[in-house]
Parts: sequence; structure tokens; C-alpha cells
Amino acid sequence: MSNLSDRSTLPAEPLPPCQVACPAHTDVRGYIHAIARGDFEEAYRIAREPNPLPYICGKVCAHPCETECRRGDVDEPVAICALKRFATEQHDLSKGHAPGLTVAEPKEEKVAIVGSGPGGLTAAHDLARMGYKVTVFEAYPKVGGMMQYGIPLYRLPRETIDLETAPLKELGVEFVTNQRVTDVDALLADGYKAVFLAVGSHVGRKLRIPNADLPDVWLNTEFLRRVALGEKIDLRGRHVLVLGGGNVAIDVARTALRLGAAEVSMTCLESCTTQPAHPWEIKEAVEEGVQMFHDRTFKEIVAENGKVKGVRCVKVNFRGFLPSGAPDMDEFPETEHVLPADLVIFAIGQGPDLSFLPQDGSIAQTPRRTIQVNPVTLATTKPGVFAGGDAVTGVGFIIDAIAAGHRAARSIDAYLRGLDPASVQPPEPQKLNDLQQKTISHIRHLKREEMPMLDVDQRKFTFDEVYLGYTEAQAIRAAQRCLTCGAGARVEETKCIACLTCVRVCPYEVPLLARGTANVPVDQCQACGICATECPAKAISMKLYSDEDMIKQIRDAVRRAKYNGEPAIVGFACRYCAYAGEDANVVKASLPANVQTIDVLCTGKVDALYLLKAFEFGADGVFVAGCLEGECHNDKGNVHAAKRVAYVKGLLDELALGNARLEMFHMSPDQCANMAEVVSRLITKVKELGPSPVRRS
Amino acid sequence: MIKAQQKPIAEIKALIAPYHRILILGCGTCVTISFAGGEKEVGLLASSLRIASAMEGQDKIFAEATVQRQCEWEFIDAVAEQIQQADAVLSLACGIGVQALAERYPDKVVLPGVNTTFLGMAVEHGVLVERCRACGDCILGLTGGVCPIARCAKNLLNGPCGGSQNGKCEVNPELDCAWQLIYDRLARLGQLDRLAALMPYKDWSKDYDGGPRKIVREDLRL
Repeated sequence: MSNLSDRSTLPAEPLPPCQVACPAHTDVRGYIHAIARGDFEEAYRIAREPNPLPYICGKVCAHPCETECRRGDVDEPVAICALKRFATEQHDLSKGHAPGLTVAEPKEEKVAIVGSGPGGLTAAHDLARMGYKVTVFEAYPKVGGMMQYGIPLYRLPRETIDLETAPLKELGVEFVTNQRVTDVDALLADGYKAVFLAVGSHVGRKLRIPNADLPDVWLNTEFLRRVALGEKIDLRGRHVLVLGGGNVAIDVARTALRLGAAEVSMTCLESCTTQPAHPWEIKEAVEEGVQMFHDRTFKEIVAENGKVKGVRCVKVNFRGFLPSGAPDMDEFPETEHVLPADLVIFAIGQGPDLSFLPQDGSIAQTPRRTIQVNPVTLATTKPGVFAGGDAVTGVGFIIDAIAAGHRAARSIDAYLRGLDPASVQPPEPQKLNDLQQKTISHIRHLKREEMPMLDVDQRKFTFDEVYLGYTEAQAIRAAQRCLTCGAGARVEETKCIACLTCVRVCPYEVPLLARGTANVPVDQCQACGICATECPAKAISMKLYSDEDMIKQIRDAVRRAKYNGEPAIVGFACRYCAYAGEDANVVKASLPANVQTIDVLCTGKVDALYLLKAFEFGADGVFVAGCLEGECHNDKGNVHAAKRVAYVKGLLDELALGNARLEMFHMSPDQCANMAEVVSRLITKVKELGPSPVRRS
Repeated sequence: MIKAQQKPIAEIKALIAPYHRILILGCGTCVTISFAGGEKEVGLLASSLRIASAMEGQDKIFAEATVQRQCEWEFIDAVAEQIQQADAVLSLACGIGVQALAERYPDKVVLPGVNTTFLGMAVEHGVLVERCRACGDCILGLTGGVCPIARCAKNLLNGPCGGSQNGKCEVNPELDCAWQLIYDRLARLGQLDRLAALMPYKDWSKDYDGGPRKIVREDLRL
């Protein structure tokens, strides 16, 4: 069976808020941590596992994860979306689009998917991996749905969509494009045992105000689709006014700019603080020259001789929409005015085209004119027919549709195997609690890495991609801001003897004693590892690394360092500082082959045992490269490391091995490029002492 | 709790010199808390001794184990097999654990890896101090909760002596004078009048002078 099914059993332990906020419950912490430690392929594997469209999401995901990120309670959220993009950019596609995911034996049953947006593609992906014969019907010439015909090119180059859809074809998914499905029953009659309706939300809406049907009053969805289909729309010299304040309205405005419009402005009911578009989208649009007019309702398209002259507006104090859908607001008297324009584009919302549903009402609709489904199973009122994504929920995010695609695939598989689709859906995961103020006060502030972007003067005239992606050094710095929530210390209660060491050494004041043993609350632990390293009973382990892993790494490093008769040197380098400002690979490449480094996230994790093990395995010299005192990511991790180094130096003297074989370097970011120089001084000292008398295995 | 300190490696090396297969056996209670003989210290010592063995061209084999308390038969029997396989057991427990092993495994060589040092506590992380001499006849109720037997270098019952200087002990100027502490504490409690009474000499037969001590609770015996 495919390992896709593994996700149906989410662990019972509380998950980081980012993972819970992600509709697909992506293991964000897992891939960010992998990037932080430089394992980019592992990062991609983790990001890809629950998401068949990681390249697309890395560029345009609305990233609800970042809104929930607990780093945001300290300073600013981790740049999760940008880091997903980095992981995809680092991935070697020759290793496959979905490394580690399996494909089940082929099954006989055929499944039809209507619509090739993110929901349809995800369901197709999952069902194909489960062995079903999947056909995706797409009304337009290219697959991708709203990603293809809604998202502007400057945000999502179409090669990215092609790159994600190609592997689906290799999985055996059949795509039938230019084929608008008009009869669901005919699909069932045609041998499809189940149907997933993922038709999206492609019909824009206009307000019924005077002159709204003039030729120069356009619709958001149609406009973006025409551009995406390659129509040459010339807006040079035009004054465009976009009605609406959401993300689609922003896409419309920025697209109009790129088509040559002389002026582009937007107006909406909401205020500058309540405007529904993402703040960064608004900021980028304004940078490009889009003018914003908030707090306005639209009364009439002003026209002369059939030519649009503007929109007559009134200032309002908009408070939200009433359950009826009507705006809750008061109009301010004597504020009527005309915003000038010769082309008006409505971007006030959009809905699905449901005209294809059976006339007999066998697939029921909601009062909001979306497809009615069981929210758990996504089953419609017609047996065998399921629906999800925007056609069910109204306009949502790509990642919402991906989650719906997974849900539909699980339901369809259950339905076709005669099981209850409700029984195969995973329970909603539990979320970690908020960080307590005491913990927050100890967390080092780290600036969020800015995403490199095209210069505004360069970008506003072209459809070139605006975001450029992180460099490796930027990505690692960005990933190192992750608090690895919930992945910290675990106390083995049967080994804990309540010695209080963890309570005393934790820089974040997290551990406490409860019922006679130490307890490290999972929601507060910052995973610095100091308690695990100091625990005399070895009762504490860390979720993301183990002594066994480290000792294996040390053994391998010593083996690699034995090179050309030079002294074998093994270093433990803090990822937070030892390479700060530099590409770790550049620093490592500057070191001779007989110097092998093991990266750690804070030297507080370097156990005295690791230092001894390096000598036991035959190293001639060992160093620990940590941050300057007072600049440790974990407050005092480097201080603990320095003390352990001093302790082990004492042991080396007792063993007559010579304490000069072991050094602690406190590196400032501007020194890190000199690691080779610092290490060369250690090598000189080690050479004076001669080869380690430890017989090498 | 019992506090202990690991022996110097040179001494341990000499102790284990005749043996090939050595089990380093930690204890998970007092010596763990005093950072002398818990699972972590077992690992560090084992690695150190492997280095020493390799440096000397030997091929000694070191096994590692830690039991919850070496002073209980049931806990040490949990590693009976490893004990049997070893030529010698290097115990990192206090002297009680070492003797328990020796008594339980009469044919096995048992060696001490730590010096059992005192009964005491951590006054700060990494600083352990003596607080009790287990004299068998506690007088803390008379001395304001400060023990002159454990904390006065001369074990004086009617101190301070003339060597008390600015609250410090003449034997070791880093030590607080126990009798100064007693005075301060009784002053705080409004019980300075206690010092007017002469403390009679102590029954040292309840201490080591009466030979090894034994407590028997007939009501608990099976």
C-alpha cells in the first residue's frame, strides 16, 4: 500500500502551530530544520510528502503557517514559504519528483476528475498512487485551473506548473484538455466508478450598478484568463480602476500595470487596516505605483456616450458583511465623488460555474451557490460523486484545495473499497499551546531574511517573476530562526531521578518537577539540547537527533579525516555562528581534507562524550567552534561547551594524550571565513605533539 | 545524599590493569546526582579507559551498564549476566554498592571507581558540600539546625574555638565557622540563651566507635 495512507494516522502529540495551520498539515518544522542543518534533499522530501505541488506552493502559497508561527510572538514569523521554495530549488529532480513515495499495484477502477486545479491534481496524484486509473478533464487548453488562468505570470511562471504536472502524467494520469464536462451522469455511465468535482471558482461577479455592462467594465477572472491565454491586451494610456481589495484585485491591478496602463488605482469597502489582501501584496502593488482608495462604496459607473469616465463612490465605515451577504456600513453624507477611470475591472469576488450540474438537482447546491458536500467525506448528494476546493468553499487558497484533494482521494478510495469514507479521514491534530512570556523573554531576536526581489522599476513593466529566491546562506539563516516547536527534550520518566540538573541549566526556564520527575513541557522547550547533554542519568533525549546518530557521525568524520598522513582533525561547528554570513560549503571547502566538521545547531549540544569519542576513534585533534560569549543562540550553550572542553582537556592530560589536542574557538560571524586559519594553528600544535597514540581502528 | 567523586584515571587504570573484560557499572541514584557514577559518567569513563587501553596497545573490553541502585540485590541481579561475563566489575557506586556487589557475587572481582566522600547536598549546580556525619545521635535541635559535628573541623560541642576568625575556620579559611553559623542562627531565633548551657559530652558509641551499626525493625522483618 502507498505510504500516503500513513498520514491518516497523525501522531497524538501536539503539533507545531505551523503544521496545524497548514491545511495539508505539512511537517514544516521538519523541513525547516533540515535546511538549517544543511540537508536540503531531506528538506524537499519532507515538504513534498504531503504536497504534490511543492514548487508551486513555494512560490505562491498563502502560507497560513506563517500567521501561526510562534517566532512571530518573539519578533517576526519564520519565512516558511520562501524556505519551501528554497528546498524545491535545491532538489535534484533526477532523484524524482516524489522521492520515497510509492505506487500501489494497478487497480481496475477508473476515476474521473473534473478540473485540473490544485484540488483536482492532488486527488489525481493520490488516486494514481493508490493504483486507480485516473482521467482529469479540463475545460481550458492547459492544466492548472486557477493557477494557470488566474495567477499572474510575475508570481508563478508557467514552467513551474509544467514541472509539477509532468510527474502526474508519468504516474499514468490521463489529461483531457479543452473538454468542459457538461454531464456528470454520462461520466458514471461511461465506466468511471467515482467522480471528483474540482471545478474551481472561475466566474467573476459584478455589482448591479448603472452602466456595469458597458464594454469597458470588465471582470477579474475573465481579464486574468485572457492574459493567461496569451491574448495581447494593450492598456497603454488607459486609466484602470479596480473595484475590490482582495488578493485577486491586487493581481488584476498589477497585471494591468504590466500591460502598459498609464494609471492603475484600486478602491474597496475596507479600510487600509482591514483590506482583505495580504499586507505584502498590498505593499508590493503600492511600490509598483498602484493607488489605493479605501472606505468607499460604488454607486455607478459614470459614462459619457458609452465611454467610461469613472466610478461614483461614497465614503463608508464598512464593518463587515451581514449573514445575508449585504455590507454592514453607514454612508457618510456629502462624500459623493467620482474616481476617474476609462476602464473599470470588477474584482469583488467570484464563484463557481455550476451550470454543468444535473438539472434534476441530484447534486445539491448550497444557498451560497456552491456544491453541497459532507464536510468530512466531501461526498455530494449523488453516490460516487465527490466535490472539493473553491467550488465547495468559495474562493480559498491553493493549499486548501490540496488538502481537499487528499481528503477526496481518501474518500473515493474508501468508497470504491466498500468502506465508509468518514472512517478513513484523519482526526484534526492537536496544537501546541502558546509560548509563555517567560520563555519568550529568553529567546534571542533574529531578523527575518528579506526575500530578494526584482527592482520595482524593473518589474512593473514585465511579467518576469518578482521574487528571486534565497541564496543558500540566506536560507540557512532564515531556517535557523525556527524555534523547532515541540521537537525538544523528552524525559524518560523511569530513568529520571529528579536531580534538578535540567531545571538548573535550562536557559529558557522551561523544565519543572512534577510527580517526582522532571518534566520539560513540550510547548515551551526550545530544543537547545543543554539539558539532554548535562543530564547525569541520560534520562533526556532530543526528538531531532540522538547520541547514537552523533557517535556514528563522529566515527565517519574521523575516518574521512585520515587523509594523506596529515593529522586527523574533527570539529564540531555551530551552524548558528561558525558559518554565519558565509556559505557553509565555501567555509568547509576552505578547510583541508584532513579536517572534517560535524555541524550542530548550537555547541550546547556537544556532549563531553562526543569529544572523547572522537579521540577514541583515533582523531589527532578535535575542536569546537561556537559563538562569541554573549552571542549564543541559546544564551549559554557555548559557555557549557567551553566548560566541557576544559573538563575533557583535564581528562586528556590524565590520559597523557595532551590537552593541546582539543580546542574551543569562539567565532564571530566576521571571523568565520578564517576558520581555516584558526584550525591551521591547531594542526600545528597537534603536529608538535605527534600522531595520536590511540591505536587507530 | 551520599556524595562521591570519581577516582583519578591513573588509579583506576592501575586497579583494572590485571583484567581484560571489565564491566563499568554505574548506579542511578546518589552518585548520579553527584555527577560521579551515573550513566553519563559511565560513558565518559568507558571512553577514557578505551583511549588509555588503546594508547598502551592493549585490547581491553569495556562493557557499560547502570542499575537503579547498586545497594539493593534486586537491582544488581538485573545485570547478573553482564557481571558474570566480566573479569572484573568497576563499580561507580558508593562504597555500599561496591560491597553489595562483592557480597552478592563472591567470586567476582569488584573494584571501586569512585571515592565515597560525604553526606551532603548541592548548594549550587556543581558545588557539593558536606552536611552530615551520620553520628547516630543528632543534636541539630540544640544547635539551631547547623551541625557542629559535620561542619566544625574540630567537631566541637561547645564552640567556637579560638581559631574562629571573622566567621571563618582556622583550619580552612574558605570554610564558614560552624559555631559562628550556630550563633547567628540562634540569635535570629531568639534562642541565644541555649549557648549559656554547657553541652554534655556526646555518646560516641552511637557513631563508628561502637563498631559497624545496624538497625533492626522487628516489625518489618519477614
